[in-house]
Amino acid sequence: MVFHPAILALHTSSILVTFMILYSTRHGIQILRSWDLKSGSEVQLNLERKTYLISSLLAYAFAFQLGSLFLFVYAADHLHTLFVGAMCAAGSLYVNSYGYPTLVLKVASFLLGGLWLIFNYVDNRAYDYPLIKKKYFLLLVISPFIVVEAVLQGNYFFLLRPDVITSCCGSLFSVSGASVASEVASLPSLPVKIVFYSWTALTLAAGFWFYLRNRGGYLFAGLSGLQFLVAVVSILSFVSLYFYELPTHHCPFCILQREYGYVGYPLYIALLGSTITGMGVGLLMPFRKTDTLREVIPVIQRRLTLVSVSLILVFTAIVTYRVIFSNLILEAP
Amino acid sequence: MIQLLDVRKVFNAGRPNQFVAVDGITLSIEPCRITALKGPSGSGKTTLLSMIGCMARPTSGRITVMNREVTSLPERFLTEVRRKTFGFVFQQFNLIKGITVLENVMLPAYPSGERHATLRRRASALLDLFDLSQKASARVEWLSGGEAQRTAIARALINDPSVIIADEPTGNLDSKLSQEFMEILRRLRENDKTVLVSSHDPIVFNSSVVERVICLRDGRIDGNGGC
Repeated sequence: MVFHPAILALHTSSILVTFMILYSTRHGIQILRSWDLKSGSEVQLNLERKTYLISSLLAYAFAFQLGSLFLFVYAADHLHTLFVGAMCAAGSLYVNSYGYPTLVLKVASFLLGGLWLIFNYVDNRAYDYPLIKKKYFLLLVISPFIVVEAVLQGNYFFLLRPDVITSCCGSLFSVSGASVASEVASLPSLPVKIVFYSWTALTLAAGFWFYLRNRGGYLFAGLSGLQFLVAVVSILSFVSLYFYELPTHHCPFCILQREYGYVGYPLYIALLGSTITGMGVGLLMPFRKTDTLREVIPVIQRRLTLVSVSLILVFTAIVTYRVIFSNLILEAP
Repeated sequence: MIQLLDVRKVFNAGRPNQFVAVDGITLSIEPCRITALKGPSGSGKTTLLSMIGCMARPTSGRITVMNREVTSLPERFLTEVRRKTFGFVFQQFNLIKGITVLENVMLPAYPSGERHATLRRRASALLDLFDLSQKASARVEWLSGGEAQRTAIARALINDPSVIIADEPTGNLDSKLSQEFMEILRRLRENDKTVLVSSHDPIVFNSSVVERVICLRDGRIDGNGGC
């Protein structure tokens, strides 16, 4: 099982990314301790030279990391045929106790890695390394996630036992269960729909306001971050039902399968992308007055806002299309 | 104004063949003047010029060019500083064979994205200035030593830099051409260019156009006047 190409790719990338992150973290600690741009010491000049290499290294590491989330879900989905009871990635991830924690950590490191890439991009636009210490502090926050995730992922794949009878998504996300997922799935569809569309409208309005007036960056970032949670709840509560045209099937993974045109991939990419770019706007807000970034940050924030708003619109358009054209009717007119 | 603060350059640091090329030089170079670096082979002239011209980084110390600290700049910013601030004239001229004199002069300005016709006009004007108009379409390998050198100077000026760096520019020239070169430096000086020239040729450092001579020995400024 561990010789499945996707699993081998995940292991290899995970080992490489962890190695690169740990190496960079060591360099980051040195920067946090010794960085002094006013000094012309050999140590300082070495750090300046090295940081150029390290930030390129990390940019690739995090780019791999972003891709590995989807590869992990794809691998889990692909493996479901090997386990009795599993119908999709939901069942495969439930085979042992490492599957879901790995997924949660991958999503967290996806979001944090994306934010780091934005930070790094902005820092590289100025000649005097204005965000360097913050950037490496953020790296120190992220690196434990990456290391733990690599360990959990390794445990998950190495401890997969084909004789385990797992649960199918129908029971994992059933309204009658006692888990958090079941609680969310059992939420009534109409109020969740209202919350989803209201929140989306608010986030879009804040995005357009920021794009046009250059104000309310924190508000837009906050709304974007919470939009992620609202969207996840909505997928479990009502969006999934319209895709499957079944009033009881709340699985967030089956939409990644061929039967549903792999629609889950664009849906989740749009959601994660809009969250990262939206939150990125807020991340950059405190540095708008930094001398060498004064002209750089507003331009980048506008671009991020445009990407975020566009991706929210893509997500909402996919959801709304299914809500309108699905054969399932949840609420009587 | 170019300022150097305790600049060191060590090659192969920590290895048995470690070599200290520049050893703790602190120096101010005034703008719009001709400054010559004088010293024997291996005294650190070329290394120092490379670091001032942002082609090499010091091992330690800081260099400021026009109030901008350049030793900490990432490479993509250095490229712009190099292109806009410095013009280089090398001992071997380093002209690119197989293309014409005009194309050689235009070459350093290509990354700027300037319109080709405008760039061509500017390059032609420079060739005219150095009496090379007749050779514009000739290949550089057909040029005489003096013509090649003037082409190299025209090329150094194409981006209108404020500082001209010339490393042993008369090393391959006879006395007459060397005198001609010094005359060109005088014209550059009159056009408010800062000129930094390294040489161990007496024609250069004894010339009346050179306003300051800095003596180097073993990577240090020789303060004894012995060079």
